[in-house]
Amino acid sequence: MGILQRVAKILLVCVNLILLSGCWDRKEVNDLALIVGLGIDQKKDGKIMITVELIAPKAAGGGQMLGGGGGDGGGGGGGKIVRSGTGTTVADAISNLQEKLPRRVFWGHTKVIVFGERAARAGIRQHLDFLSRNPQARLRSNVLVSKGTAKSVLELIPPIEQSSSEVLRELSESQLLLRVTIKDALQMLSGDTGAAALPMVKILPREKGAKELQTIAFTQRTAIFKKDKMIGDIDDKLTRGVLWLRNEIKRANITVSLKGEKGNITATMIRAHTEFVPKYEKGKWKMIVKATTEDDIILNGTKLDLLNPKYAKMVEKELENQMNKRIRDALKKVQKEMKADIFGFAEIFHQKYPREWNRVKNRWEEIFPTVEVVVKTKAYVRRPGIDTAPQGLPEQEVKK
Amino acid sequence: MIEKGKISAAQMGMMMYPTIIATAILLVPAITARHAKQDMWLSPLWASLIGFLTVYITVRLHELYPEKTIIEYSEDILGKFLGKVIGLIFLFYYLYANGIIIREYGEFVVGNFLFYTPLVVVMGSMVLACSFAVRNGVEVIGRLAQMIVPIVIILIVINIILLIPDMEVANMFPIMEKGIMPSLKGSIIPQGWFSEFLLIAFLLPYVADRNKGKRWGMISVAAVMLTLSLVNIAVLFVLGGITDRFTYPAFSAVRYISIADFLEHIEAIVMALWVAGIFMKVAVFYYALVLGTAQWMNLEDYRPIIFPMGFLILLFAVWSAPSLMELTHYLGSTSPFYRISIQVGIPLLLLFVAKWRKRANNQKLTQQG
Repeated sequence: MGILQRVAKILLVCVNLILLSGCWDRKEVNDLALIVGLGIDQKKDGKIMITVELIAPKAAGGGQMLGGGGGDGGGGGGGKIVRSGTGTTVADAISNLQEKLPRRVFWGHTKVIVFGERAARAGIRQHLDFLSRNPQARLRSNVLVSKGTAKSVLELIPPIEQSSSEVLRELSESQLLLRVTIKDALQMLSGDTGAAALPMVKILPREKGAKELQTIAFTQRTAIFKKDKMIGDIDDKLTRGVLWLRNEIKRANITVSLKGEKGNITATMIRAHTEFVPKYEKGKWKMIVKATTEDDIILNGTKLDLLNPKYAKMVEKELENQMNKRIRDALKKVQKEMKADIFGFAEIFHQKYPREWNRVKNRWEEIFPTVEVVVKTKAYVRRPGIDTAPQGLPEQEVKK
Repeated sequence: MIEKGKISAAQMGMMMYPTIIATAILLVPAITARHAKQDMWLSPLWASLIGFLTVYITVRLHELYPEKTIIEYSEDILGKFLGKVIGLIFLFYYLYANGIIIREYGEFVVGNFLFYTPLVVVMGSMVLACSFAVRNGVEVIGRLAQMIVPIVIILIVINIILLIPDMEVANMFPIMEKGIMPSLKGSIIPQGWFSEFLLIAFLLPYVADRNKGKRWGMISVAAVMLTLSLVNIAVLFVLGGITDRFTYPAFSAVRYISIADFLEHIEAIVMALWVAGIFMKVAVFYYALVLGTAQWMNLEDYRPIIFPMGFLILLFAVWSAPSLMELTHYLGSTSPFYRISIQVGIPLLLLFVAKWRKRANNQKLTQQG
């Protein structure tokens, strides 16, 4: 091989190296500010204020963590920064925020989106559109509503996790209460029901001795939306009923007391499933809801020996009544009072009776509160835990 | 013959697989969903009929002229002048189609990953890479396909499996709510993609085991049909009623994957998969174009025109549409009629004329005898 050819080959490789690096979109990680949480508030004058919780990757060889004091957005700690910006839209507010940040914002790691209550009542569609349209942001981010402003939630300094956003993400994923991602929210808003539900967070009162802001926000309620505007909210008990009706209940403890017995029994849910049987008869819409659960006993405050199948049956009966009551309460509040189809009944009817449903789809808001719902519940107690007779009770007092 | 290489029938089938699906799983699911809604998974089934028909026509023509490509035998069938005209139509079509493909690729990369990179750089580097593959002839492209296709299939299957936890089967119902029409309407666009199977007319003359050509062509159509249907169904299960709101639904669905908070953000794999697939697609189209042009102009070798052609393709890619909206509108409205009339209509005409001429010849022979 001639020397020229060799040089030409090496040159070719070098040229390729330059091309392969993709210089135009080169972004070094220490030039980025990762948005982990986004809060959207609406001010009194109608302007949008966004609050972002940022994690700034440590500069190479930098030694100590970056972060600490945040500018106008309140304090920060443990590597997180909270900043705010305002504008007429979210995108506008972001560019306002970018002016105050030395690093470029990056959306790829956004875990939670928090809407302030006022922003939620004004409508969330355009904000969700921005997040869905952005190629960096992810449809899997959890969407929440906060009681009060979103800013007050994001600027908290949680004692355990690194950031408030991480706290809210973990709480959402635990699925104790409702869990909604951007994709779910978009599906609910553009679906047949014309209603949506988002989990709502509240700030946990600070413990004595804790520094200012050193607490967390936790999901406690559920915000109910009609179209994209929030119309009200329900508490955690009703939310469990709603979860039953959405077939999303994963974990719950139910406490019951038996007639004629002192003390309580608590059961924990191992598995749960809700089946929906839609019926359309003579112009009447009817929904049969069959909720089934398998439970283990985790606490027995009565004197009954639960190894006895007779008592287990009684517990099952009582669990069924409890479930039934929870579901009925949720129905009463959400179906009859708020008239918002957050259970997705519209979709179920649509799937089973497409022709009949298409005739009434424009009037669904009027029809939904009149849908007759039959609730059937079934509970199975599978195990009494790892104890047999009630603990700490003399043998002669145990009811066999 | 200009091309001296030989490929196996299986290699041909493998070359065609990414040639169809690479772009068909980018923009098409959204266009199909717009018409077919929850029946979008049915549309590829209907559309594949065009694919089977195209393969059938092409194989029949090939049986009549086993040593020649479609550019050559259209002259034999229609005479020198008309044959050249038909050849020009085909070549112009492939030049144009190649530009569109490169543009789709460029739009996908720039719209999702490299926002600030000029489109022309993204497209130009792909054309350059493909031109190297094309220079080395059909054998090299065939072997590349053999290497890339199994990886593409495995990655598609893995992605679908990873999506299972987020799937909601109820999204599929009610099946055929408004009858069969929406799914048929949704199949018009994929039909345009299936008609691209005409490309085997450029490959069949170089297949070593000829008798298997038809079989592998059909297998390839079936594989494409299954893949598209499976991808559509997976996307539908995950995104449901909002599938048509996304420009690249399959991509948006994959971005949604998250297994145990650990296995997530895997769109880079999808990007690699698509780049590999589109590389195959462009290479096959590019190869057909330069080979056909060389035959049309009676050149002895097609290599000298590769780079000039590449430049033309790049220009067509830049010119093909001013924006993604125009591109999607073109793909979703007129493109299937254009593609099907050229890739199915003209070959069908050629086949009829060829059959008719053969019969006339036979009659002449019997009269003489």
